[in-house]
Amino acid sequence: MLIQESFKTALISLSANKTRTFLTLLGVVIGVFAVVSLVAIGKGAQNYITKEFDALGSNLLFVSPGSGDFAGDPALQLTKNPLEEKHIKLIQNYANEHIVAISPYYVIGETAEYKTKNFFAEITGVNVESIKMFNYNVTQGREFTTVEEKNSSKVAIVGPQIQKELFENVNPLDKLIKIGGDSYKVIGVFEEKGDNYDDQIIVPYTSAENTFKLENYSSIIAKVDSTENVKISMKQVELALLRDLDEESFAVLSQEDILNTIQETLGIVTLGISLIAGISLLVGGIGIMNIMLVSVTERIKEIGLRKALGATPIQIGV
Amino acid sequence: MSKEKVIEAKNLKKVYTIGDTQISAVKDISLEIYKGDFVSIIGKSGSGKSTLMHMVGLLDTPTSGQIFLNGKDVSKLSEKELAKIRNQEIGFVFQAFNLLPRTTVLDNVILPLKYSKVPKQEWESRALEMINLVELGDRVHNKSNELSGGQKQRVAIARALVTNPSMILADEPTGNLDTKTGDEIVELFKRLHKQGRTIVIVTHDDDLAAITERKIELRDGLVV
Ligand SMILES: Nc1ncnc2c1ncn2[C@@H]1O[C@H](COP(=O)(O)OP(=O)(O)OP(=O)(O)O)[C@@H](O)[C@H]1O
Ligand SMILES: [Mg+2]
Repeated sequence: MLIQESFKTALISLSANKTRTFLTLLGVVIGVFAVVSLVAIGKGAQNYITKEFDALGSNLLFVSPGSGDFAGDPALQLTKNPLEEKHIKLIQNYANEHIVAISPYYVIGETAEYKTKNFFAEITGVNVESIKMFNYNVTQGREFTTVEEKNSSKVAIVGPQIQKELFENVNPLDKLIKIGGDSYKVIGVFEEKGDNYDDQIIVPYTSAENTFKLENYSSIIAKVDSTENVKISMKQVELALLRDLDEESFAVLSQEDILNTIQETLGIVTLGISLIAGISLLVGGIGIMNIMLVSVTERIKEIGLRKALGATPIQIGV
Repeated sequence: MSKEKVIEAKNLKKVYTIGDTQISAVKDISLEIYKGDFVSIIGKSGSGKSTLMHMVGLLDTPTSGQIFLNGKDVSKLSEKELAKIRNQEIGFVFQAFNLLPRTTVLDNVILPLKYSKVPKQEWESRALEMINLVELGDRVHNKSNELSGGQKQRVAIARALVTNPSMILADEPTGNLDTKTGDEIVELFKRLHKQGRTIVIVTHDDDLAAITERKIELRDGLVV
């Protein structure tokens, strides 16, 4: 009965102080909402990145110029980029035990034009093998051939977003698009793969070198036969490259390494933000407690007065 | 002339303890109040007047000593009986008014009636009668926090009178009033006294003290 009475009194007080009740509720709701959504955003970002990475294919190794960490002058690392064809040969000759495919990798941001339309695309220069290696599924038209690769043919496989932006309802196959001053013939369209891939235009790496006057690879990408062999293969690739390069000028990373680094960074950021949100919630909570305390103190005085005027304890309760 | 003893206080002491320090607000006071008495309690600020009044008005319990009300030891009364006495026998005017904030003058004055046996239909008319008596007829529906100090004091007096108590204990009832309004309150107390009520007033006001039949002067918690 006492509990029921207390609830009744609480409800009456809440409806008597509508603004206060509303503001208190608002504070709690915003606070909880902020914490929950920040944590959710962090988790979402992590999931997104994992998904995008998985879409790229599995068991991949990346050889990138520079030492792979962020020490030193980054500009120096770029200008000293040493990766070229002979390094692919080195890997093929001395580290091919577990490697099933290997490709140079160029990536250039460039505007692609078709008639009056243009779109800023990611031009990806790779070899024939890498189409399979990266799990691109060419649904219209065809992939490019070894001959086209050799001849630096100006052919391109475009992503679904490119198809949408440049061609709309027109069939893109055999149409010419302008990239970096050269005309490329669209020979295929690949299936939707993920936000980071759908704006790509895949061309033979030889053609990219030709159009953009490139000499050194952005990176070299290799596929290992199975997950267990990734570690060994990394070591083998490293040893093979050390025949020509010093250890400062390149880094071998596995897909897992990169993913872990990103996940870790994101995790820390999420934790930090959640912590800040948590602290804000705590501070807000203390504020609310303060208001509550004020109303309770006020009530103590009121109860004292009512008793002085002759209220019995039971009458105070009601 | 044999008079009925309404209140008899014996060796009252009140010690307030705040942390390690102890303040003896009332040291050893014995007093008797008879039916129909008109008594004033005077003394310097901090001499223990309010503390004494609170104990006599059954609002606070003494640290030691006894209070007899109509011959009965109040420490033996139940909470319910005490509530009834506070409501029906005693009208208390607080030094700090103690009105309910954000509540109208009318509702403030009705408050003690809610705890009494007075039928609900009579509450408003009774309250209005008292409000008119203290000349606040034009402020009936104002909130208590919209009043001046003197007006609040008059509401507090109206509230103390509304249950028609046999004894009125007033702590500085004219403290915040100008001379004219103060005089009116003095007249009011005179009238109440003529009606045969027992009145105890704490005051600094010489005019008010002068009309009382008996003065009790306190100094440092003792009767001088
Ligand atoms: N609740 C309390 N806690 C601690 N000390 C108190 C409390 N109430 C009063 N006192 C102390 O008791 C002493 C007497 O206070 P009291 O209020 O009775 O004085 P007073 O004679 O009514 O003064 P005034 O004329 O200023 O109203 C003071 O020294 C005061 O500080
Ligand atoms: Mg006082």
